[in-house]
Parts: sequence; structure tokens; C-alpha cells
Amino acid sequence: MQIYKAPLRDMRFVIHETLDAEQLSKLPGYEEATPDTIDAILEEGAKFCEDKLLPLNRVGDEAGCTYENGVVRTPPGFKQAYDEFVGAGWLSISSDPKYGGQGLPALMNFVIEEMVCSTNLAFGVCPLLSGGAAALIARHGSEAIKDTYLPHLADGSWSGTMCLTESHCGTDLGLIHTKAAPAGDGVYRISGSKMFISAGEHDLAENIIHLVLAKLPDAPEGVRGISLFLVPKINVKADGELGPRNGVSCGSIEKKMGIHGSATCVLNFDEAEGYLIGEAHKGLRCMFTMMNGARLGVGMQGLALGETAYQSATAYAKERRSGKSLAKGAKSADKADPIIVHPDVRNMLLTQRAHNEGARALAYWTALNLDISTHHPDAETRRDADELVQLMTPIIKAFLTDRGFEATNLAVQVHGGHGYIAEHGMEQLVRDARIAQLYEGANGIQALDLVGRKLGQNTGRLLRHFFHPATEFVAAHQDDETLKEIVLPLAKALGKLQQATLVIAQKGLGDPEEAAAVATDYLKMFGLVAVGYMWAMMAEKAAAKANGDADGDGRYYANKLKTARFYMYKLLPESAALFLRIMTGKAAIAQYDDEDF
Amino acid sequence: MAIDKVAVIGAGLMGSGIAAHVANAGIDVVLLDIVPEGAKKRSELALGAVERMLKAEPAAFMEKRGAKRVACGNIEDDLALLAEADWIVEAVIERLDIKQAIYRMIDGVRKDGSIVSSNTSTIPCRELMAGMEESFQRDFLITHFFNPPRYMRLLEIVSGDRTRAEAVATISDFADRELGKGVVVCKDTPGFIANRIGTFWIQAAVVEAFKGDVTVEQADAAIGRALGIPKTGIFGLMDLVGIDLMPLVGKSLYDAVPSSDAYRALYGEPELIKKMIADGSIGRKGKGGFYRLNKDGGTPVKEVIDLATGEYSTALRPTPDSVRAAGSSPRALFEHGDAVSNFAWQVMSATLTYAADLIPEIADNVADVDDAMKLGYAWKQGPFELIDKIGAAWLAERLAVEGRDVPEFLKLAADKGGFYRVAEGRLQYLATDGGYVTVARAPGVLLLADVKRAGAPIHGNGSASLWDIGDGVACLEFHSKMNAIDPDTLAMIGQSVAAVGKDYKALVLHNEGSNYSVGVNLGLALFAINLAAWPMMEDMVKQGQDAFKALKFAPFPVVGAPSGMALGGGCESLLHCDAVQAHAESYVGLVEVGVGLIPGWGGCKEMLVRGLTDKRGGILGGGAMPVISKLFQTIGLAKVSRSAAQAFEMGYLRDTDRVTANRDRLLADAKARALELAENYRAPEPREINLPGKSARVALMMAVRGLAKTRKATKHDITVVDQLGIVLTGGKTDSTDAVSEDDLSALERRALATLARNPLTIARLEHMLETGKPLRN
Repeated sequence: MQIYKAPLRDMRFVIHETLDAEQLSKLPGYEEATPDTIDAILEEGAKFCEDKLLPLNRVGDEAGCTYENGVVRTPPGFKQAYDEFVGAGWLSISSDPKYGGQGLPALMNFVIEEMVCSTNLAFGVCPLLSGGAAALIARHGSEAIKDTYLPHLADGSWSGTMCLTESHCGTDLGLIHTKAAPAGDGVYRISGSKMFISAGEHDLAENIIHLVLAKLPDAPEGVRGISLFLVPKINVKADGELGPRNGVSCGSIEKKMGIHGSATCVLNFDEAEGYLIGEAHKGLRCMFTMMNGARLGVGMQGLALGETAYQSATAYAKERRSGKSLAKGAKSADKADPIIVHPDVRNMLLTQRAHNEGARALAYWTALNLDISTHHPDAETRRDADELVQLMTPIIKAFLTDRGFEATNLAVQVHGGHGYIAEHGMEQLVRDARIAQLYEGANGIQALDLVGRKLGQNTGRLLRHFFHPATEFVAAHQDDETLKEIVLPLAKALGKLQQATLVIAQKGLGDPEEAAAVATDYLKMFGLVAVGYMWAMMAEKAAAKANGDADGDGRYYANKLKTARFYMYKLLPESAALFLRIMTGKAAIAQYDDEDF
Repeated sequence: MAIDKVAVIGAGLMGSGIAAHVANAGIDVVLLDIVPEGAKKRSELALGAVERMLKAEPAAFMEKRGAKRVACGNIEDDLALLAEADWIVEAVIERLDIKQAIYRMIDGVRKDGSIVSSNTSTIPCRELMAGMEESFQRDFLITHFFNPPRYMRLLEIVSGDRTRAEAVATISDFADRELGKGVVVCKDTPGFIANRIGTFWIQAAVVEAFKGDVTVEQADAAIGRALGIPKTGIFGLMDLVGIDLMPLVGKSLYDAVPSSDAYRALYGEPELIKKMIADGSIGRKGKGGFYRLNKDGGTPVKEVIDLATGEYSTALRPTPDSVRAAGSSPRALFEHGDAVSNFAWQVMSATLTYAADLIPEIADNVADVDDAMKLGYAWKQGPFELIDKIGAAWLAERLAVEGRDVPEFLKLAADKGGFYRVAEGRLQYLATDGGYVTVARAPGVLLLADVKRAGAPIHGNGSASLWDIGDGVACLEFHSKMNAIDPDTLAMIGQSVAAVGKDYKALVLHNEGSNYSVGVNLGLALFAINLAAWPMMEDMVKQGQDAFKALKFAPFPVVGAPSGMALGGGCESLLHCDAVQAHAESYVGLVEVGVGLIPGWGGCKEMLVRGLTDKRGGILGGGAMPVISKLFQTIGLAKVSRSAAQAFEMGYLRDTDRVTANRDRLLADAKARALELAENYRAPEPREINLPGKSARVALMMAVRGLAKTRKATKHDITVVDQLGIVLTGGKTDSTDAVSEDDLSALERRALATLARNPLTIARLEHMLETGKPLRN
């Protein structure tokens, strides 16, 4: 059974106790985001997701979306859930109040997104894209475009998409064929075909706003010649009312491994009316606003499924009986003990748990910085926060989705054969989780972004925002008796990460292939150490409160410390192996000719 | 004959620049001009010129006191001064009648055997000599300097039919050894070599740009990096030289070249340029030219002219697609095919074919032409080297395809495989008879480039290599970007010390980059700091200290031979040498304070030790404080010498160190010095000094705090020089304790470890790397 109760205690621990999110309410524009308000919203969000979205998860997987004559129908119940979801304002929680949003911190949106995706990933795809489209339009759209489109994207009556991929190119967007021809009056005619467009067509909203990459007639070659256009499914008249259908249609939807409840469409543009967003030929830069947001969102999907996997596996492990405990002094009268007594099973559960709790802190820390980067009064503080977000984006995206997928697999493993059959819902989690490693830039691309772009930017200034606080934390706490066994392994791993970073930067300058060959290992290593840093911070907070109160919060904090220790003993050491792999560079990979494969 | 006294007649830009540069060589010089009407002082033209030279930017004098060697006068009262001159240079207006009148005046007073030369750029030697006394003709030649005379290395020498060979030899040798010039002996043809080709080149660009397919900025981007041409491009160059000169030079060349010369077809003066000259928009010396700085809005905005309308608009500094795609490949630039690429092709193909057509008219030897364009126009490669880079066959083929004439000499080169080749490790050029001739080097010239052509390094990595330069001497060459010092450089120093100790007598530190070394690789340092990789950063400091210490105490002599900038760690490498043989154009300084650091690779240590001890290690009298105060200022203000001469004043060079005027002779001189030291060489012993400790530091800082109050020092300046003060005063010591060299190294390391963690230092480093300028925070 897919089991999910929003981990509200944990969320609060991260938000309030570890990250001190109260600081948000001191930023101009976020005055309402007090701890009480945050908690109230989280509880409401949890209820909605647990009660409305979780029951639809299996339905969506089994019924899937259907396509007929250009029309896509979402699984039974999705439309009603969507209406309730947007009606309650969950979509626009951190959108600009000027356009109908609630103006709460982006952090809140992250947490809600986590709950939505934990309970129904396929359902979560459409709101994620609408939020991304709205952010892009808010940042790069003209006033008129903003006035026309943002309120509808905020209230969910219209949804959004991002149209990048074509049949022959996804990652390498310089190769796209879709054309835009100027038709006067600021209108362009868009022609071409896009594929893998999530929520490209559906029955949830009355209009769909496509953000489409295309080339103008005078476009320079490659990525420097890509422009961005807003293309509505239904044209919007001057008075804001919906007009006739635009020249965009859904050609088919894909049959695919998971997220059956979300339609993945081929979209055909036939002289569709479109409006230029941002400057001509500079559309990719605008699109990155949406992609960066979406990458963080996809990272949350990985975490979200990991959480459901852990909760489901734990429930099963407590219930299912098999074998007797090997623990000394354990002698139950039962013929068999619950499998949770077995070290291997516990190890699997704790692997999920330790990662989930640490990754949650990392994601929320990033979200908090996203809010600082937009709302802090001091420009330098904003820039620093933005740079931390830039650095963490590929890590959140790739590391959290890789580990989320692994967590769903572990859930199958804990279930044994019952995990492999549809009835328990575990195999669905695996199938659903798999996409997150692929879309919004496959995880290998994230690794290249990290080593190729983020590492060297401003001579490593992005790194400063992580390494300086982490090193200072270690220096401040490594002599602390209670924290020693947590901080010392972190210090060691952090030192190795610094060394690896220097080596990659140096080797990569002379030979970019050296950096590319170890990029994935490096991202994983960075992810492990970053989560390790989060655990050390959480342990420090918990240590102060882990007193004798065995039933109440004292136990919660004591368990935090235990999980921190588990992380340092069992998960972080993987970084040492990754370090060794990184140091061997590209030699073992580069020794083959293409024909030798 | 020795040149001990020089006279220059004509105190204009060129005459006064030549006089200043002669003074730079330590030679007394007389500078004369006319007595202008209504003059307050009869020699005011020469006096005013020296004043201007003292303020010139870049500096005309290598040290201010050089001006004292220039005696100012006028041709009415002071002609008698010429009687003492061994060499008299005429640098007056380009009018034959006036020049000849001057020559007659000179001839009346000059001593027998003295040499007279003209700095003319446009009048042939035979015309200058027509009708002059034969004895005068025998002593006369043209010495054509380029502006500014101190910095432009080219000197074109043209002799007449009757000129004595010894006169040419004497001036060539003097210009080469004392003035540091690259002498190219030219035929008596219009514009000689450099301006013949250079003027054509500029005209070709003007004609092509006025066709309207490219903007001024695109044109300057096109004629740039891929072609090895300075980033001023052509329009920027005209602004620099003075647009008003263009028609003068152009017209005189037009009149002088043969009627069949390609320049005649190209010649012309666009209306806009006429109008600009009439308006005074003649370039940087006027109110702007093709580019100008508009200061109307407060912050100056760089603007650029539209050749079609004459209107200015904000400069955009574009990088055209073809230029970006070409990188450093000229052929890729030509093959791209956009408007900018086409512009570059039209201008350069015309210029390169013109150059090929001029052999043997202006020179018998392509190497001379290449040298002239490199030394006189700052091209990275001369026209024939550039053709080889493009591919002679490719060029000939494309010209043929376009139906253009292919010069015979170019066809020959295409056939033979290029204008140059390397045979048996030697560079050879193609002669017009189809044979290859080895490029000859004068005695006393040793080029590392030649050594490198002849064989492989003893050791080498990505940042430095060790070469065998003969006679038991090795040369350590830095060759990283800007010759910045990184861990690879330091590792190579270690390897070199081992290798030289085993198999060689001495080591020279030298390279042929534009700058000896700009110091530590700041990018790497900042990256490590951003990573908070403190142990690694501290290792790098220690590694540098150890490498330089190994140089100092090596069992063989080490001679530093810098040219251009030797900053920070580059300067520190020289401070650890037994001797320095510096190029006259050496810009030496400990500049670390500018990026919020202090010298940490033994710079403080060596400056203290050499200030406080004598040659035998004894303590000098006079107390430590005056030495420390001077060092505190020199390092605290990050002073950089603007010549080798100034580096002596600042204490970066010792009086036992020596100077070479000509870059091409630097390595040979350094090698000779190294061999001299290698006789009975004994490595120095580590020294101990006494330093005053905290009380002295407090005294130093009181003065600095005064500066802070008057805002001459910033908050972070105080923090940085406080750390400097700790090192220079010996840390926690007092004058009764001996401080060892290793103690000083440890103090340097501690100061750096403190400063590197300071966010304000990080901001300085970042600013320097991103803007190339120091941040005052």
C-alpha cells in the first residue's frame, strides 16, 4: 500500500529550527509568512494531499490519459481534484499578489510541491509547469502580456507548458527547426513540431499557454539564434476573453513507463499566433528562468517519492513477519518477527530515511535562499543567495532524483515479491520516479552544468557560498564532544571534496573532457557532502534538545541524532569512493575507440 | 667610433622623444630648436619639450633625472654645442629646403667624422643629399624612429650612395646596444619598409570600410586577434597616431611610389575624414576621432562614429560571429564569409599581396620586412609569417579563384611550401632565387626561440620548461598564460634545481613573453580561497617559498633576466637570484597589497635581508628602522618601477645587478653573467637579522592611521599593511633576538593565512581578476 502522512514534524524542524525561516517574515513583502501561518498552511496542504491526491494516484496510473481526435482526457477524478486544488489557492501560493497570487515565500511552494508529488506525481506535473510559466512571464514578459496571462495562470483557469524538445533534438537546442515568421503588429507565426510536451494538452484548464522556442528568419546559427514565443492554445481577444482556437494541436500522446496520469504530447504548430518574449535570439536565456525553477521542482519530485517509499516500506516492514531476530536477548514468543528486526531491512529503511531527511533540509535551504535572492533589501545578499541557488540547482535536480529513485527501488526490495506486483503500488513509485532523472535536463547534463558552468563562474565564487559556511561550521564544532562523531567525518569528506574540486578545475582548464568524464561522480560526491552538512547542522540543533523526555520531542531529537550518525557511518563514506574515482580522471574511459564498443 | 655625445635638432614629438631616449641610455644629449617669434625664453621650444616628455604617458624618460642629461638650446645661440656631438640627429619638419638649410648649418660646426642623420619618414636619402658637400654625404644617413621612440623598437636605417660603411655600422651598433633598437637596414625607397606597407594597409582598410558593409567597430574587431594585430585595430590606430597625419603621409607616399604601384589605385581621402580633420576630430590628441569619450552625462561613454553619417553613437564592442568563430586562425576568419570576414579578407589579401610584390624592391629579405612590421607596427607576425600561417598555397589559390593577380614571389612560396622553414633546427627564409637562407643573428644575440627550434627541453610541463642554452648553462622558461606562477611552475623550479645541480654550471631565468611574469596565478589562488581550501592554499604558499629558497641556496649561480613586467611572485623569483640582468624595459614590483595580500614567497624576507646585511652577511650599521620604513612604503604602496633604472632606486635591483638595452641581447648577457659567477661559485649562507618587533610596528601604523584620516588609505589598506608591518618588524621579537630567514618565511605564511580569509581581500582578488584593476575597499 502506498502510505503517506506528510512529515509535518520534520518539515517544521527543518523550516523553523534548522533554517530559522522566521527570518523570511522580516523580508519586505513576506511579512505574513510567520511561523504560525506557515504551520497552518502546511497542515491544510497535508490534508488536501493525503485525502484527495493520494487516493487518485493508483487510479491515474491504471487509467492513464486518453487521446482522441486531438483531445486529451485526464484520468477520472483528476479534473475535480484540479478544480479543488486551484480553488483552494494551492497553485498560486507564492505567486505575485498583483496578479492574484498569495505572495508567500517560494519555500512554501516547495513544501506543498513535495506533498503533492509524494501523493500523486502525475497530478503535480501540470501545476509545476504553470508555476514555471508564470515565473518566466513575470520576469521577461511585457506589461500587457503579464496583465493578460498571469492572473489566469495564478487561478489555474489556464495552465502552462514549456516547448523545447523536437524529435531530433532535446539537449542540443541549437538544432531546433521550429520557425517564427513576423506577421506585423508584434505577432509571429509559429510553425513546427514539438515533442515530449508535458501537460501539452488536457481537460483540466480552459486554456493552455505554451512557451515555445523557435527561430526567426534572420537567426544566427546555433543557440545564439533561438527566440522565445508565447503561444496560447486558444487565442485571447483584446478584451481578455477567449477567442478562436490557435493553430496548435496535439498530434498524439506517448505511451510511457510512468506518470500515466500526465499526458506527454506531440504538439503541432501550424502558423500559430505567438508573441515574442524577451529579446529576439535571446530566448534561451529567458527559458532558463523556467528551466531552473523546473529543475528545482523536479528535484523535489525525487525527494517526494523517496518519502512515500520510506513510509510505505516501513509500514510493511513492521507488519510483515518472516524469520526471527538475530539480536542477542531477543526472544519473542511469535513464530516469526516483523522483518523490521533484520539488520538488512533496517539498513534499507534507514538509507531511505537518512537521505530523505537530509535532502529535505538541502532543498528547503536552497528554497530559502531563493526567497532571499528575490526579497532581501541588500543587493549583495541577494546576489550571494542567488548564486547559492545556481550552484545547488543541478545538485538538487540530479542528486535528489537519483536517490529518490533508489529509495523507491529499496521500497520494492523491502516488499520482496509483493513490491514487484501492482497491488502494493511500489512498482508504480519506481516507474514514476524514473522520469525525474530524465526530464528538465538528464542528470548527466546537470553534472556537466555543475562542473562546466557553475564551478568556474566568477573564479569559483558560487562555491564560496557553500564551502565557506560549511568550513566555518566544521571549524566551530569539530571539538564539540557530542557532535564529534558527526562533524569529523563531514570534515574529512568536505576536505576531499575541496581537493576534488581543485583537481577538476585545474585539469578541466587544460582538457574539458577530464572534467566531463568525472562530472557525474563529482555531482554525487557534492550531493553527499552537502546533505552531510545539512545533517551536521540538524544534529547541532537536535543535540541541544535531545534530553530525557522519552515520549515527546526529546525522543524526536534523539532520533535525529541517531539518523545523523547513520548518515555519517553508512551513507557519507560513499564520497570516499567517488573521490577515488574522480582522481583517476578520464583515462579509463578515454582508452577505447568508438569502434571498440 | 664611440658615441659619447648626441645632438638632436627639432624638439617636436619625435625629436624630443629621441633625445629623451638617448638620455635613457646614459648619454648626454643636446636638444635644439628654433627661436620662435616673440619668445620669452630663446630656448623655450626645447625646454617645453623636455617638460612635456617628463609628463608623457607612457613615460619617455626611464627615470626623472634622465632629463638632466638633456641640454636645451636653440639653433641661433647654441650651434656651437654641435661641435662636441658624435652623432647629430635632424628631426625637423618634412621639408627638403628646411632640412638642407639645417644640414648646411650643421656642417659648418660639426666635428670631423661626426655622423649626421635625418629622422625623415618620407624624403628619400638621395634627395636629402642632393647638392650637399661630399664629406657631408659620407657621414650622412637616415635613422627613422617610430613613435614613441622609447617604446617602439624599430629603427629603419637608410644610407646614401656615398655614406661610409663605418657610419652605418657605428649608428646601427649604438642603436642596437645602447638604445635597444631592432635595426632594419632599408633601401632608399618611398616610406622605407614599415610605412610603405603600413600606410597601404591603413588605406586599404579605409577604402574597404567606407564601402559601408561594416561598422568602424566591426572593422577593428576584424583586423585583430586572429591576425595577430593589436586590439586597437586600424581605426583605433589612426586615432592613436593622429588622423591629421594620414593625408600627409598618404600624399607623400602617393607622389613617391612608381606609377604602377598598387597604392596609387587605392589612394584617396574620404570627405568625412577631411571634415573630421577640419573639425579637429583628429584622434586622441584632439577631441576624439573615430572613437571618442563623451563625458556629457557624467560617466564617460565611449562612442564611435558612423562612417556614412558622421554621427556618433555608443560603442557596443561587438564580437562578430566570424571573429568569435575564428579564434586565432586567420584562415578561419577569411573562410567564414560574413561581412566582417569579407572585410578582413579584402584588407589583408590586398596588403599581403602588396608586401609580396615589394620584394625585392624594398628589401631582399622577407625576414627584414617581417621584423619591420613586428617592431614598428606591433604585429605579432610580419606579413610573410602571416602568409605562412594562413598557408601560402591556400592564399595563392584563393587569389587565383577570384581572378586576381598572384605575385610571382607568392607563387614561388606556395610551390616551395612557405616563406620560412626550419632546417636542422635553424630558421631559414625563402630567397627570391628559390633557395632558403638561414636567418642570421648578430654576435651577442641569443634567442630562446632559436634554442627551442633546435631541440627538446631538458624538462618541461604546461607552465615552464628547462632548456640547454649551451656552455653548461640552462634556462628556465615560464610559459603559462601571462607567465603567471602556478604549482606547475614551482614544480619545474624544483626539477630545474635538481637537473642543473647535476649536469650544468648555472641557471638563467628568462622567457620571451611580453612579460617575464605577472606573479602568482591569482585565479587559482582565488579559486582555492573560494573553496575555503585553506590547507591547500597554505601548501601553495609554502611550496613557493621552498622553490625560491632552493633557487637561492642552489650550489650553482642563478641569474634572473626579466623583460616587461616582473610583478609579485615574478619579482620574488628575481629577489632570490644571485644576480639580475634586467632588460631596460623591466617593470618590477611587489604589488600584492593591491589584491589585499602581502608578498609571501620570500619577498618581504629578501628585501629585509638585503637591506640589513652586507655581502658577507654582516649587519649594516644605521639601524633597522630606516630600512623597514622604506620597505613598508615600497611594498605598502605596491610600487612598480617603470624601468630597470627605477627598480634600482626602489631596491628591487641591487647595484651589482646589470641592465641590457636590447631584448635580443638579454639572454646572451645573462648567460655571460652566469658563467662569470660560476667561476669558484659558493652558495650564500642563510642570514640572521635583528628586527625591532612590536614597538616599531606600532610606530609604522601610527603614520598609516594618519593617512586613513585623510582618506588616502582605506579601511582594508590598514588591515593589509598591518600584516605587512608584523612581518617587516619581525613579529613577536625584539631587537636582541636574532630572526632567521625561516622565521621570516613563517611570518609571511601566517600573514597570508590571515588575509586570505578576509572577505575584503577576497573582494579585491575578485575585482582584479574580473576588471584587471585594483579595488579600493
